[in-house]
Amino acid sequence: MKLRTAKYVVKEGFVNTYRNVLMSLASMGVVTASLVILGFFWIITANINHNTKFLKDQPEMQVFCNPEMDGHQVGMLEWTIGRDKRIKEYKVVDKKQAFEEAKELLGDDKDVLEGLDESIMPVSFIIKLNNSSDYEEVVDKYNNYPGVDSVRYSQKAIDFINKILRGLQIGSSLLITILVIIAVFIISNTIKLTVFARRKEISIMKYIGATDWFIRLPFIVEGVIIGLIGAVASFIVLFIIYNIGGGWVENDFLMVKLVGMNDVGFQLILLTCVLGALVGASGSVLSIRKYLRV
Amino acid sequence: MVEFKNVVKKYSNGTLALSNVNFCINKGEFAFLVGPSGSGKSTILKLILKEEDTTEGEVFVNGYDLSMLKRKEIPSFRRSLGVVFQDFRLLPNKTVYENVEFAMQITEALPKEIRRQVPMSLALVGLSRKAKSYPNQLSGGEQQRVALARALVNNPSLIIADEPTGNLDPETSWEIMKLIQEVNMRGTTVIVATHEKSIVDKMKKRVIAIEKGEIKRDQEKGQYENEVKDSKICC
Repeated sequence: MKLRTAKYVVKEGFVNTYRNVLMSLASMGVVTASLVILGFFWIITANINHNTKFLKDQPEMQVFCNPEMDGHQVGMLEWTIGRDKRIKEYKVVDKKQAFEEAKELLGDDKDVLEGLDESIMPVSFIIKLNNSSDYEEVVDKYNNYPGVDSVRYSQKAIDFINKILRGLQIGSSLLITILVIIAVFIISNTIKLTVFARRKEISIMKYIGATDWFIRLPFIVEGVIIGLIGAVASFIVLFIIYNIGGGWVENDFLMVKLVGMNDVGFQLILLTCVLGALVGASGSVLSIRKYLRV
Repeated sequence: MVEFKNVVKKYSNGTLALSNVNFCINKGEFAFLVGPSGSGKSTILKLILKEEDTTEGEVFVNGYDLSMLKRKEIPSFRRSLGVVFQDFRLLPNKTVYENVEFAMQITEALPKEIRRQVPMSLALVGLSRKAKSYPNQLSGGEQQRVALARALVNNPSLIIADEPTGNLDPETSWEIMKLIQEVNMRGTTVIVATHEKSIVDKMKKRVIAIEKGEIKRDQEKGQYENEVKDSKICC
């Protein structure tokens, strides 16, 4: 395509958007509404991900050595743990500390420990992992380590968190896909009305020898303009909602820390604009197809 | 220029619109296509424009074998001919100038070329003064002249006119026909489908009469009604 044809196509797209101002506004409204819903879910997902990130690092496990293990063996184990790349940090709880803790834990019943000394207590290591998904291997490895009595970990909590996170990801991407499809159909329907009003024009163009793309492109430009304006409008609406609603959420739920609009804003405007333009363009292509067969 | 060879056209609903039509219109000729409604006149024009495909037989237009023409090649084929319709078919949102300009824009013509050709073609049909008007501000005759200017702007070698005077009063009709005749005199082949007896009789051009899907008469310097002189089968 030559440059002046491209210029013509773009100009024609703008002129047509302006000439069918009411129809364009209707389509823009649909795009804005769909993208507001979509962006809303996206923000919620982003916030849930942000707020559950710390949960992922949280799981700890404790490796208990056999109380009979001598200092050398404990040293060997500590050396192994220290070199394990999956482990972020570890803390040694020696016999004395363990004994003190036990005493504290028993409180008034600490007489039970009367006559005993710290040698009955096992040395243990509190381990934090880099990645919670590695916990199974790590537990396996240290459970089978000679001299290790047991490895305690909160498997249920870890499983639960992983399951929720995966569910949220699948659910939100499914929802977003459905919303995009719905938006494409609603917009293509709206554009179909514009196309229908101008079907005669399209057939005239075909009669005097215009190519399909020459007819189609201005409509696509129109769709993209509508999509982009709708996207910007939806971004503004989301921005306002987020600022008002976000403040309210942070005041009432102290635990929740919201993702800042500055971090999420750029991604959001990119998401809405790309989706808006794509939805507008595909809506145009879908609705004009029928009238090009002359 | 235009050749029909054993053309049969059956529509999908079973109507037999043309049965074994043969004719040939040579370069520079002026031919009337006459016949009552439903005779197959429009079908012949639709076949020439490649709006419909033949069921049997072959159609050649401007050197294109239309049965071999791919969908992609239709636009460039249509640009090689100019078409005028009974209902004008102007783009309502464009001015007279833009309507004519549009026919050149789709060919990706140079702007310089467009600025030269469009006024020339408007001058030819005598509408230079109305260049900035919109179609709905013009009379029927003026609108048809715009359509003619649009058909002419790309210098086609063939002009097809489907009832070009169908919506016009006799005087205006005559003006349009004179313009078309002028175009023909410059060497463009012209095919006019029409009902208007007075025009056909007065102009004394070749007449191809269609009835019930067959060519009933093909006559040089013919009349609208049968008056068999000089009957001739061409090619």
